[in-house]
Amino acid sequence: MTEMVNEQNEKDVFVRAYTAMVLSRTFDKKIVMAQRQGRIGFYTPSIGQEATQVGLSMALDHDDVIFQYYRDVALMIHRGVPIEVILDQIMGNAEDESKGRQMPSHYTAKKYNFMSVQSPVATNLPLAVGAAYALRYQKKNTVVVATFGDGSTSTPDFHAAMNLAAVFNLPVIFLCENNGWAISLPTEKQTKVEISEKAAAYGMKGIKVDGNNFIETYKATMEAVERARSGKGPTLIDAISFRMGAHSTSDDPSKYRSQTVEEGSEKDPITVAEEQLKSLGYLNDSLIAKIKEESTKMVNDKFDIQEKIPAPVPSTMFDDVYAEKNWIIKEEEDDIL
Amino acid sequence: MSTMNMVQALNSTLDHIMSGDNSVILLGEDIGKDGGVFRVTEGLQAKYGEERVIDTPLVELGIVGMSVGMSLMGVKAIPEIQFQDFIYTAFDQIINQMAKMRYRSGGGFTLPMVLRTPYGGGIKGGLYHSQSGEAYFAHTAGLVVVTPSNPYDAKGLLISSVESPDPVIFLEPKRLYRAAKIEVPDEDYRVKIGEAARPMEGDDLTIITYGAMVPTVLNTVKKNNLNADVLDLRTLLPMDVNAIISSAKKTGRVVIVHEAPRTLGMGAEISALISERAIEYLYAPILRVTGPDIPFPYRLEDYYMPGEARIMKAVKRVMEFR
Ligand SMILES: Cc1ncc(C[n+]2csc(CCOP(=O)(O)OP(=O)(O)O)c2C)c(N)n1
Ligand SMILES: [Mg+2]
Repeated sequence: MTEMVNEQNEKDVFVRAYTAMVLSRTFDKKIVMAQRQGRIGFYTPSIGQEATQVGLSMALDHDDVIFQYYRDVALMIHRGVPIEVILDQIMGNAEDESKGRQMPSHYTAKKYNFMSVQSPVATNLPLAVGAAYALRYQKKNTVVVATFGDGSTSTPDFHAAMNLAAVFNLPVIFLCENNGWAISLPTEKQTKVEISEKAAAYGMKGIKVDGNNFIETYKATMEAVERARSGKGPTLIDAISFRMGAHSTSDDPSKYRSQTVEEGSEKDPITVAEEQLKSLGYLNDSLIAKIKEESTKMVNDKFDIQEKIPAPVPSTMFDDVYAEKNWIIKEEEDDIL
Repeated sequence: MSTMNMVQALNSTLDHIMSGDNSVILLGEDIGKDGGVFRVTEGLQAKYGEERVIDTPLVELGIVGMSVGMSLMGVKAIPEIQFQDFIYTAFDQIINQMAKMRYRSGGGFTLPMVLRTPYGGGIKGGLYHSQSGEAYFAHTAGLVVVTPSNPYDAKGLLISSVESPDPVIFLEPKRLYRAAKIEVPDEDYRVKIGEAARPMEGDDLTIITYGAMVPTVLNTVKKNNLNADVLDLRTLLPMDVNAIISSAKKTGRVVIVHEAPRTLGMGAEISALISERAIEYLYAPILRVTGPDIPFPYRLEDYYMPGEARIMKAVKRVMEFR
C-alpha cells in the first residue's frame, strides 16, 4: 500500500479501507452460512476484527512481510489479495496455492508477501524475528509484521520472539488482535497485565489502541512502522476489539459466554467506521448501501464460480514434501494410487 | 450397563475417578466452562469446581510442566492437550521431565500422571489437527503409551492409567470419539496396561493394529471373510510381545496396519520383534499398511487413510506368497 501512505486524498484512502471492511464482513457471513450448508468444511471468521486488520494494512508497504494468522481475511482483502485466492484456500481446490493441503483459514499468498499460516498459535512470531534480521542484513528497509491473538501471548514462542526482537533491535511489529477471547477463555484469565504492558519487560515500545477504530489502529501502526524503518526497533501493538462471532464454525460460544456484540451496534467496528466517515463527509447512507450491495453480489458470484473448481488430483499430495521425491514417497505413491 | 460412545465413556470415567479421589486434578485449554473442544470434560468443572478442573492459559509447555510439579507433590494430574498436534512445545517437559523423573531421582520421585490427548485423522483436520505422533512417545523410555479403540477399553484403560505408578500418555483416536455406542459396565473394571485384545480369532493370518484403524481392520476382515487373528494392541509401550509372537507363530503371516507414517512407526518395531523371535515360523514377509511419509493433507485425506483396498492388497500378498 505504498500509494496509500503517501496518499494525499484521504477520502479515497478511507473509503477504500471501509470497502475492504465491508467486503470482509460480507465474505465471513457468506462462508459461515456456506459451512452450515455443508459447502465448506470449516472456518474462523474475522467478524469484529476488521478495523484492526485494515488499520494495520493501511500502514504497510507492498514489500513489507506479514506472518499472518488464521483470522486475517480483512487484512488480506485490503492488501489486495483477490477474493478468489481466499476462496480457493477455503475450498481446498485445485487452484489453491497450498494445493488443498491445509485446513480452511490457513492461507498462503506469496505474491502479496503473506507467508503461510500454521495452526499452532504464535509459532509464526519467532519466524517474523528471523525474517526481520535477514531483511536488515540484506539492507532492505522492510518491516515485518506478525499477527496473533490475545491467547497466543501465553506461549513460549511469544516470549522468545519478543525477547529476540528487542535484543537485536529488529524492525518487527507484533500486532496482537486482542478480541477478548481465546476460544472459551476471556483475556483476564489469560494474563494478569494489559498485553501492551508486556512490551516494557522486554525493553520495547508497547502501544494499546482501540482496534475497533481503523483510523486509530492505522495511526498506531504508522508510528510502529516509522520506528521500525528508522532503526529504532520493534513494537508490540495491543489492538482491542471483540470476537463478534464464534471462535470457529466448530465452536458454540453459548457454552461459555453471555456477552455479545450485535452487528450494527456501536461496538461493531463497521458501524464505528460508518459514523466516522459520515461525519467527515466521505460517505452517506446511499453510498454505504451501494458498497454493501456490491460486496454481496461480488462474494456470491465469486463463490459460485470458485465452487465449481475440482479438488486437486490425488498425486499432488505427494509433491512438495521435498524438492524431489525420495524413494519412500515414490513407493508409497505407487502403492496408494 | 449403559450404552455410550467413547466421549461419554471417558467423561463418565473421569467423573467417577474424581468423585472417588480428591487428589485428582484436571487441567487444560477450554476443558472447564466449555467442557473441552470434544466435550470429554463436559460438566466436570460445574461439578468439581474451578480449582480441580482448571481452564489454563494457552501454554502446552506450562500445562505439562505444572502437571509434573503437581504430581511430584502427590496430586494426580490429568492434563489435556487439545490436539496432539499442539503437544510439541511441551515435548521437552514430556521427554526430559515426565519420562525421566523416576530414573534420575533413583526411584525417589514418581509421577502418577495421565496426559490425555486426541490424535489421528479422519475429521478433515489437515496438517495440524490430524497427526498420529505415537511413535515419538513410544520411543521414550519412562513413558507408558496407551490408546483405546472403543468405549469399553477407553474406560478400563483410563482407570488403569490413573492407577499406574508411571506417567501415561493416553492417546484418544478422535475419529472414534462418536463412531460407535456400545455397552459399558457401570462398575469399575480395568483393562490391563501391556495387554493386547484379540477382537477376532483366526488361523490364516495375523493383522496387528490399534486405535482408529481397529474398526477399519475388523470391517475388512468381516467383509472379506478372512480367517484372521486380529490384535488390537491397546498399549503401545510396552507392547504385548507375547500376544504378538504367539499369533505370528500360529498363522505365519502378518500384516501390520496403522495410520501414522511408515518410517520408524510402530510397525517397524512390531516387525523387528517378530523377525527376532519368530522368523522361522513365517511363510511370507511381514507387511505394513500405513499412512504415507508425507504431512497429513486436508482435501485428499481419504487417500491418506489406510482402508479396505490397501489392507486387502497386503493380505493377498502375504496369503499368496510362496
Ligand atoms: C499451540 C496451540 N495450542 C492450542 C491450539 C488450539 N487453539 C486454536 S485457536 C485457540 C485460541 C487462540 O486464541 P487467540 O490467540 O486469542 O486467537 P483468536 O482465535 O481469539 O483470534 C486455541 C487454543 C492451537 N491452535 N495452538
Ligand atoms: Mg483472541
